[in-house]
Amino acid sequence: MRRTRFVLAMGTALVLSFGASMRAHHAFGGEFDANRPVLLKGAITKVEWVNPHAWIHMAVKEVTIAGQKQTPKPGETWAVEGGTPNTLLRRGINRDTVKIGTEIVVDGYQTRDHTLTRANGRNITFLDGRKLFMGSSGTGAPRDGADATEPPK
Amino acid sequence: MRGKLTIGVFAAFVASVLLGTADLSGQASGGRAPVKATGGPRTPDGHPDFQGVYDLATLTPLERPEALGTSLTMTTEQARKLEQQVASRRDVLNRPSDANRGAPPIGGDGSPGAAGNVGGYNNFWIDNGDAYFSIEGQKRTSIIVDPPNGRMPELLASARARNAARLIQTTSDASEDEHDPGLEKGAGAYDDSERRPLGERCLIGFGSTSGPPALPVLYNNLHQIVQTKDTIVIMNEMVHDARVIRMNAQHLPPTVRKWMGDSVGRWEGDTLVVDTTNFTDKTRFRGSSDQLHIVERFSRLDDKTLLYRFTVEDPSTWARPWTGEYTWPKTDQLLYEYACHEANYALEYILRGARQRDRERSTGRPGNR
Repeated sequence: MRRTRFVLAMGTALVLSFGASMRAHHAFGGEFDANRPVLLKGAITKVEWVNPHAWIHMAVKEVTIAGQKQTPKPGETWAVEGGTPNTLLRRGINRDTVKIGTEIVVDGYQTRDHTLTRANGRNITFLDGRKLFMGSSGTGAPRDGADATEPPK
Repeated sequence: MRGKLTIGVFAAFVASVLLGTADLSGQASGGRAPVKATGGPRTPDGHPDFQGVYDLATLTPLERPEALGTSLTMTTEQARKLEQQVASRRDVLNRPSDANRGAPPIGGDGSPGAAGNVGGYNNFWIDNGDAYFSIEGQKRTSIIVDPPNGRMPELLASARARNAARLIQTTSDASEDEHDPGLEKGAGAYDDSERRPLGERCLIGFGSTSGPPALPVLYNNLHQIVQTKDTIVIMNEMVHDARVIRMNAQHLPPTVRKWMGDSVGRWEGDTLVVDTTNFTDKTRFRGSSDQLHIVERFSRLDDKTLLYRFTVEDPSTWARPWTGEYTWPKTDQLLYEYACHEANYALEYILRGARQRDRERSTGRPGNR
């Protein structure tokens, strides 16, 4: 029992620490409105590759706010907040990796000030659902046995 | 996120049942100082040369889960399984989403902490390490080694009262907190940019990344040491904070208060000892006051690893001092600039969001206008 409890306690702490570790540079709940979920589809127009947070701008073709599908105004753009570019730079990703015109889908929450067409980039993907970038997991390579240095499964 | 969290807890439980077969033989007291290396490069004046870039990221938490009691260490096998859980979780988060997904739920997605029920942002921005650190080959369960339960002492009742009062009129360290004080209380924490947390204002990094004591955080964990005979500088990637440590000097007069305190250093043999006092009353490390006193000890474990040990003391906050230690592994990675004021839109939007809530309260109507 004692042995089981050990890994359970640390494993649970890991999961909880991930939640707690979402404490970040700022409080997301102060910036974004939990009652204004958005789904945005459109093409990237600009990437602000800046700190403390990167912002990806997009010309929207489809906008759903709080369950209501809306017709975008001509030229309507949104910007979505990401994290620090430094993390991605270490993985070889820079602002030029993201091509202007790339079609993306974003789900997140709009800013509490609804006059702003801005949202958190809770999930940023290509149209087919693939993540715009990949997070690190060890070597970053798929763990398929092809890499002799990969940790055992 | 709520769904993912539930899945994560369940996965941890399943893994613990399936994999929890190692024992606790790796317990250690934490009282004995690890064996230090005596070799390695030295500066022209004969002291150990610690210069270089270090990556402080580690999965080991500051505080040990209560259920582990005084188990300072775990076996390599236990650590490997936990590290695999992290890697597996990241693999899951890297998987494609549903191309035809809708917006997240109205009312929030249940995400905890500063993710504030709106889910933060994708995992691919996060860089908080993939392994528990080890000392003398033993994986550690917490950074804190004293008290023996690996947890910070309880705050004194007087400190709790002091800190509770601060939330009303604060330049607070709320980014240390899982809650967002003031948002629901109408207590004025959003009435002035200068009442916002230091991290949010880009004044110093969140989570005590610069320290002292320097602690690992979610990303940007690189720290560079530059060393001369008279001055040692620790450059922190987060918020580009630079700690300047004056060697063999006296502390500044108590009237001079500094965001990261006033640090003076000395050599005790091959150990660099840094003493820091004169904090402002705004830094508030884990609920501390301006009486905070930190002693850090840097020594070499091997050619590529420093041992960083710190003792925290503030008699107005804790009934006893407490101590932590962890390794600083050298890295070939570059430390990047982090110009936090460059595009700190978040601070503006948070304050604008609070003004919207003010309007809604005064008009009784939702919406902006």
